[in-house]
Amino acid sequence: MNKKIFLVPAVLFFLLIGIFFYLLLIDRDPSELPSMLINKEAPQFKAKSLFDEKIIISNTEFGEEIVLINFFATWCSPCREEHQFIKKLSNEPGIKLIGINYKDKNKIAKKWLNEMGNPYSKVGVDKNGSIAIDWGLYGIPETYVVDKNGIVQYKYIGPITKKTYKKFYSQIKSLNNEKN
Amino acid sequence: MINIVGNTSLYLALLLSALQTFCFFKTEKKFIKRYKFFVSGLLIFSSIAFFSLMYGYFVSDFTILNVFKNSHSSKPLIYKIAATWGNHEGSMLLWILVLTIFNFLIFKLHNKQNLKYVYKALQIQGFIIFGFMLFTILTSNPFQNVESFQSEGWGFNPILQDPALAIHPPFLYIGYVGFSAAFSLAMATLISQAKIADVPWHQYIKTFVMIAWTFLTIGIALGSIWAYYELGWGGWWFWDPVENASFMPWLLGTALIHSLMIVDKTKSLQIWVLLLSILTFLLSVVGTFLVRSGILTSVHTFALDPSRGIYILTFMAILGGYSFILFFQKSKYFFSEKYFSFLSKEGSILFNNFLMVVVCATVFLGTIYPLIIETILDNKISVGEPYFNKTIIPITIPAILLMGVAPIFAWKKDNLKRIIKISSPKIIVTIILTLSFLYFYKFINFIGIIGIFLAFWIISNNLLNLILKTKGCSKETILAHFGVGLLILGITSSSVWQEESVARMNVKDQVTIKNYTIVFNEINEIKGQNYVAIQGNFLVSSKKNKITNLKPEKRLYPVTNIITTEAAIHTNLVRDLYIVLGNGNSNDGWVVRFYINPLVIWIWIGVVFMFVGGILSIKKSLNKKIIIG
Amino acid sequence: MKKIKLYHYFIGLILISITTFALSVEPEEFMKDPKKELRAREISKNIRCVVCQNQSIDDSSAQLARDLRLLIRKKIKEGSTDKQIYNFLTERYGDFILLNPPLKTSTIFLWLFPFGLFFIGFFVILKHHKKSKVN
Repeated sequence: MNKKIFLVPAVLFFLLIGIFFYLLLIDRDPSELPSMLINKEAPQFKAKSLFDEKIIISNTEFGEEIVLINFFATWCSPCREEHQFIKKLSNEPGIKLIGINYKDKNKIAKKWLNEMGNPYSKVGVDKNGSIAIDWGLYGIPETYVVDKNGIVQYKYIGPITKKTYKKFYSQIKSLNNEKN
Repeated sequence: MINIVGNTSLYLALLLSALQTFCFFKTEKKFIKRYKFFVSGLLIFSSIAFFSLMYGYFVSDFTILNVFKNSHSSKPLIYKIAATWGNHEGSMLLWILVLTIFNFLIFKLHNKQNLKYVYKALQIQGFIIFGFMLFTILTSNPFQNVESFQSEGWGFNPILQDPALAIHPPFLYIGYVGFSAAFSLAMATLISQAKIADVPWHQYIKTFVMIAWTFLTIGIALGSIWAYYELGWGGWWFWDPVENASFMPWLLGTALIHSLMIVDKTKSLQIWVLLLSILTFLLSVVGTFLVRSGILTSVHTFALDPSRGIYILTFMAILGGYSFILFFQKSKYFFSEKYFSFLSKEGSILFNNFLMVVVCATVFLGTIYPLIIETILDNKISVGEPYFNKTIIPITIPAILLMGVAPIFAWKKDNLKRIIKISSPKIIVTIILTLSFLYFYKFINFIGIIGIFLAFWIISNNLLNLILKTKGCSKETILAHFGVGLLILGITSSSVWQEESVARMNVKDQVTIKNYTIVFNEINEIKGQNYVAIQGNFLVSSKKNKITNLKPEKRLYPVTNIITTEAAIHTNLVRDLYIVLGNGNSNDGWVVRFYINPLVIWIWIGVVFMFVGGILSIKKSLNKKIIIG
Repeated sequence: MKKIKLYHYFIGLILISITTFALSVEPEEFMKDPKKELRAREISKNIRCVVCQNQSIDDSSAQLARDLRLLIRKKIKEGSTDKQIYNFLTERYGDFILLNPPLKTSTIFLWLFPFGLFFIGFFVILKHHKKSKVN
């Protein structure tokens, strides 16, 4: 019996250990799922506006400045908590905020925005979640950053918090400077 | 107070394990005296640590961080106790306790002839204990103080409050840790090379492997039983990484048991025994790593912590590296170039080993492949049930065919004509049983036919061998193999012939499935010990005869705010009737899901047969009087 | 021992009855044509519930799972082929959403491995067997 054959499992074993070490040492969240949309053109959608009878057509919204698409709902408490940071973002120059109201009731959503303040330049309604699926949504809140050329650059999963606001904002800003 | 006791015990045990590993052998007398002290001390202190944590749960002592995080005073007592090992840190104490029990048993093997051999085995086992102790103390110590006084604990996942799940870890750990003893003994054998001609090392390994395998089988079955009865969608195996982590040592453990039977009689396959003893335990450690390192997410991984992962990985690298090098150097002393035909007991076991290794390697690859792809290509993929079914089922088919007929093979070389002659009645019985089954159950399906045929092939072979008292078939083999036949029967029927039906029902509505009539009698609000629930009451009857009242529930556990569904199941030998209550209200009605799962109970009955076969084998090994020094 | 307060009881009932999570496939989701429905179930069994631990959307009670089940049925009704439906989903969620790993250059090793190992191992054993026979 050729002894060399036992080298095979040994080599594989150490290769494996190497891979495991690598995966542990890099800063990795095993439950994090990368977005398929990054570096691709933003998905097109048509959504009824929350506040009036107009229809929001996505390709008229992209292509000029940086657009943030923020999926939210009134029944989602993390959305409520991140709202102040969305408002903060709306005060920054060069960023257009579009809200997508996900699986909600129009009346309640309007009331919610009136009470909490409306940071969005436009709010579209996604009653059955089909727009969300087109964007590869896992849950809410989620925010997508689309650059001036209509290309999706970042997907931010979960609520924006005090801790993460700074980093997120600087990522958006670097996009602004890049494309000049 | 408990924290102090616990920590002291852990540190003392750590010290003893270091001593056991690094102490030199001077004289016989000194060895026996010292090592008796070490192994007894280890057993005592690991018991104190484990049981003092359990006591902490028993009295709900929330000054212990571990108890605070995982318990609540409203939990039923039995689940408080089970919570001791139901969390990561506590489960490590159980691992260590079982390690020290087997450590003690290895020591008990000593006699005049094998002293140095046992010493070497104890050094290896000592190192394993040392590694696990260090890991526990550094990264997973349950005996920590809470920061501020807490009057109540954080509760515990209600899905885990189930009898099967409560005892599933102890059985599993006896399995995993039992293989550590086989590992240590195999390493001692390799280190000793040819100097142990009169040490029956394979007998020692066989006893421990039988214990480990038997308990691992039950441990895995209990996990599946829990999933089936508790999770509410009728499944019992999901190819989840944690399940795979227990299945792989079981596969190699099965190959190991069979190889040990050969080594009993001839020197062939000794290499397999040594290699499999090493690999099975290494896989147990890999399994521990996958579940506790945070490298994967799964249905029941413990809390994520990369530092734990790095530690276990390092330990694995050392253990694996050392054992591979040792095997590479020393295995040549154990080669046996004796010839045997493929058509022989040895040949069939060799083929079985080979197939078990292929299946194990496939499960392993499927489990870690997403991690490999993520590392190399930075892309996330999934490898799920469809992959495992498509690859593993074809490979096990020849294994099962062989399993039916191989027990009657002669040693060294058998005669094909003789085998066919003995097997003919069994082939006939198999065909008759298969056709009867298909006639009764209608709905023909290719996989179903194969599965049923294979099941009856095993069943007929073993039944007829028992009745005809065929030579060469031991009671234990017949029982265990018969169990596997029942297992395959249950698995095939309940998957292929399962019937499912969903309906939206209001109270007083009625549905008919097959020949069962089910009436939705009422919906009630009920209170349990630590939950509130909505309970549906369904009257099940067949041909106007009442069978039972089934009461599925949806429960809310206020402490953790978790909602669970409790299926209601009526079991008999022929089928399980399974009802799950879904969403709804009095106006729109309720979504109710019905399953008819044929022959499910035979899966569990099959496992019991395997268990009994295993226990009888353990008894047989112990009776050989070689064990008791 | 703490007793369950009355308000826990009421909150519990309210929560249970208005929780909007579906229990896997609901009767309203079923397609009228049983063949199409079977096709929908088969496809669903192959789609991973990406917000669950380790389930298909056919088994899962999550909202997203339900949405995807309905989407699949809608597409079947519109006449899409299985391949088109899978492509639609992987364009948005990646290969991760497929429980059956697709046959690609990156997965060839995965699929060939079991059978490759079987044949290589068989060959090695055969060779060794011949050698020991000669001795």
